[in-house]
Amino acid sequence: MDRVDVQQLKSGEVNLGTSIMAVQFKDGVVIGADSRTTTGSYIANRVTDKLTHVHDRIYCCRSGSAADTQAVADIVHYYLQMHAQTTGTPSVHVAASLFQKLCYENKDALSAGIIVAGWDKDGPSVYNIPLGGGLFRQPWAIGGSGSTYVYGYCDATYKDGWGRDETVEFVKNTLALAMSRDGSSGGVIRMCVITEDKVERLFVPGDQLPKFWEGDEVLPTAVAWK
Amino acid sequence: MATSSVYTPAGFNFSNQIRNTFLQERGVPLPKATSTGTTIVGCLFKDGVVLGADTRATEGDIVADKNCEKIHYITDSIRCCGAGTAADTEFTTALISSNMELHGLSTGRKPQVVTAMTMLKQMLFRYQGHVGAALVLGGVDATGPQLFTIHPHGSTDKLPYVTMGSGSLAAMAVFESGWQPNMTRDDALNLVKAAVAAGIFNDLGSGSNIDACIITATHTEMLRNVETPNERVQKERRYVFRRGTTAWKTESVRKLIVNEETTIIGGDAMDTS
Amino acid sequence: MTSIGTGYDLSASTYSPDGRIFQVEYAAKAVENSGTAIGLRVKGGIVLAVEKLVHSKLLVPAANKRILTVDPHIGLATAGLQADGRHLANRARDEASNYRDQYKTNPPLKAIVDRLGLYVQAYTLYSSVRPFGISTILGAVDKDGPSLYVIEPSGVHYGYHGAAVGKGRQLAKTELEKLKLSDLSMREAVLEAARIIYVVHDDAKEKDFELEISWVGEETNGLHVLVPKDLLDEANAKAKAALETFE
Repeated sequence: MDRVDVQQLKSGEVNLGTSIMAVQFKDGVVIGADSRTTTGSYIANRVTDKLTHVHDRIYCCRSGSAADTQAVADIVHYYLQMHAQTTGTPSVHVAASLFQKLCYENKDALSAGIIVAGWDKDGPSVYNIPLGGGLFRQPWAIGGSGSTYVYGYCDATYKDGWGRDETVEFVKNTLALAMSRDGSSGGVIRMCVITEDKVERLFVPGDQLPKFWEGDEVLPTAVAWK
Repeated sequence: MATSSVYTPAGFNFSNQIRNTFLQERGVPLPKATSTGTTIVGCLFKDGVVLGADTRATEGDIVADKNCEKIHYITDSIRCCGAGTAADTEFTTALISSNMELHGLSTGRKPQVVTAMTMLKQMLFRYQGHVGAALVLGGVDATGPQLFTIHPHGSTDKLPYVTMGSGSLAAMAVFESGWQPNMTRDDALNLVKAAVAAGIFNDLGSGSNIDACIITATHTEMLRNVETPNERVQKERRYVFRRGTTAWKTESVRKLIVNEETTIIGGDAMDTS
Repeated sequence: MTSIGTGYDLSASTYSPDGRIFQVEYAAKAVENSGTAIGLRVKGGIVLAVEKLVHSKLLVPAANKRILTVDPHIGLATAGLQADGRHLANRARDEASNYRDQYKTNPPLKAIVDRLGLYVQAYTLYSSVRPFGISTILGAVDKDGPSLYVIEPSGVHYGYHGAAVGKGRQLAKTELEKLKLSDLSMREAVLEAARIIYVVHDDAKEKDFELEISWVGEETNGLHVLVPKDLLDEANAKAKAALETFE
C-alpha cells in the first residue's frame, strides 16, 4: 500500500488551516495566529483562539487538526502541572520535548504542527515541531498552511536584537500577509507577548488588519500607459 | 455412510465477511445508521443559555421519526443537543450524564459544564471520529452560563452562539444577522426559534417541530415542541363528488344487454345419453 | 529487645501496639553493621566517601564498589546490605533514564530521590517483602547546584549539608559538624572525607578497610567519577598522618 499521507485529514475533520507564528526577542516572545477554523469550505469558528496556554509562561500555537492539537495540548498541560508539582516550574524546552514525544510517537495518527514558545529562567525561546514530530529551536518560527506564502517576507525582514514593539509589528504584518494570500487563514489576529512579569494578550480586529498593496492602482496606470 | 457433520469447528467464522465483500462487489450498499440530519443551535443571553433543535430523524432520504427529541439531559442545569448518528448521540450523552451524576456525588459540588465538555471530547477523541456525535453543549454553573460545540473527532469551540448539523448554515445565517450581546430571555428564545425554523424550512435533513430549552442559574425549562410549524390537518378520508360536478355536452343512452340468436349449422346433436 | 517473641516483629505489615514497625527498625540495624559512608556538600560540588570493610584478603582491591553512578551527574553511596544497594542503584538508573526520556533534560536529584523514596517506602507495607537494609546517600550537581540526600530504610529522605550513615555515623556526624562545609573546596573536602573515614574506623574491632571516594562538581566537569588515583593516595596518606597526631 501507499505510504500514509500524514497531511491528509480524516473526512469531516475540523481543520485549523492556519497561519501561526512565534518570534523571540530580548525580554520574551511574541506569538500570534489567525482565527479561522474550517470544516471543508465552511468556517466553523471565525474567532478561534489558537494560542493555547500550557503553563504560566509557556504557550503553544496550534495548526493541523483541531481535535488532535487540542488533545495533545491538553495532555501536555497535564504533564506540566505534574512537573510543576514534582520537580518545579518547567522550562520551555521540557514543554517542547513533551510535545515532540507525543507528536513523534503518534505520528501515524496525528496531523499536528505545533510551535511552542515561552519564557523560562534561561530566557525566551521558540521551538518548532512540524508534522513528523521533529524538534527544532529557532529564533522565529512560522507554521500552518498560510506560512508558505510568507517565508520570503520573514527571511527578508527579520533582524536579531529587536525590542517588544518591533517584534509585535513583525508578527502582525507577517500574519496579515499570510492571511490575505491563504484562503484557509483569516478572521482576526490574536497575539501574546510572554515576558518574565506577564503574559499580555493583543487583538487585531478583522477590519483593522495592516494593509499592503492590494492592486487598486494598477488599472488607472495601465490605462494611462496606452 | 456419509452424513452431514454436526461438528462446529473451533475459531472464528469469516463466512459473512466473504459474503459481504461479494455483495459489495455486486453493488449492494452496506446498511446505513439512522442519522439525525439536523438543525441544533445554542445561544447565550444575559443570565443563561437557550438551546434549540428540530425534531426530524432520517434514514437516508426517509424520515424515520417526525417528532424525536434531540435535546438530551446531562445534569439539572446542563443539556446537550445532538446531531450525527442518532444512536451515538443518544448513548454518549447518556453515558456522560451518568458520569456527571457520579462526579457530582464524589466531589459534593454541582458539576461544571467544562467537565462535561472535557469528558465528551476525550471520549470522542479516543474513538477517532467513529462515534459520530456532533454536539452543542450548554448550561449554567458556578462560573456562569457556558456554551460549547463538540465535533465528532473531539475538537471543541467556546462561542456565544453556535449551530450544528446539516441545517447549521441556515441557522448560523440567522444568528449572524440577529445576535446581540446581553439579550433578554425572550429575545434569545425568539432568535433560537428563528434559527431552528431556518433549518427546518431550508434544509432537507431538518424538519417538523422546534424544541427549546432555557437554562438559567435557578431554573431549567424544557420547551418541548414550542413551535409546531408543520401541523398536519385531519385527513377527510371521504372522496365523493357532488352530483352534477361534471358538465356534459351530449347525451346518448345505449342498451347494454345484447340480443343473440343461435343457428346450428350441420352435424348431429351430441349424444348425451 | 523487648519486641522479640511478641509476634509484632514478624512482618513489615504489622504495627506494634505503640505504633512501631519493627521490621523497619531491624532494617536500620542492618545498616549499623556496615562500614561508614559519608557525603559532603561543599562550594563547588559533592564528595562521597565510604569505609569499605575488607572481610577477605582474597578480594581484589578496588573491586566491588560501594559508590555507584546513577546518571552521569548523580552518585550514590550505600551503607548496609550490598545487594540491596546495587538493586536500589539500578532502580535509580531506571528512574533517571525514565525522567530523561520524558523531559529530555538532566534529571534533578530531588526528582530521583522523591521517586526512590516512594519505592523504598513501598517495601515497608507488605508482609511478603523485606524492607531495604540500607541507608543511601545520593549526591549530584544539577541545574540548582550541588545537592545531597539520604534515604532511610523507612523511605524518609532529607537533604543535608553533610551526611553520614553506617557503623561510625555518630562520630562522623560530629566530625562533619566541625567543618565549615560551605567554605571548603572540593579538593579540601576529599581530604577531610578521607580523614573522617580514618577517624571513625574502629581498628580494634574491624579488620582492614579500603577507602573509596568519588566526587562531582567543578573539578569533574559536572560528572560523577571516582577521585583520581594520585588524589586518593594523597588523601590516604594525609588521613593516616592526621590520625597519628590525633591519637
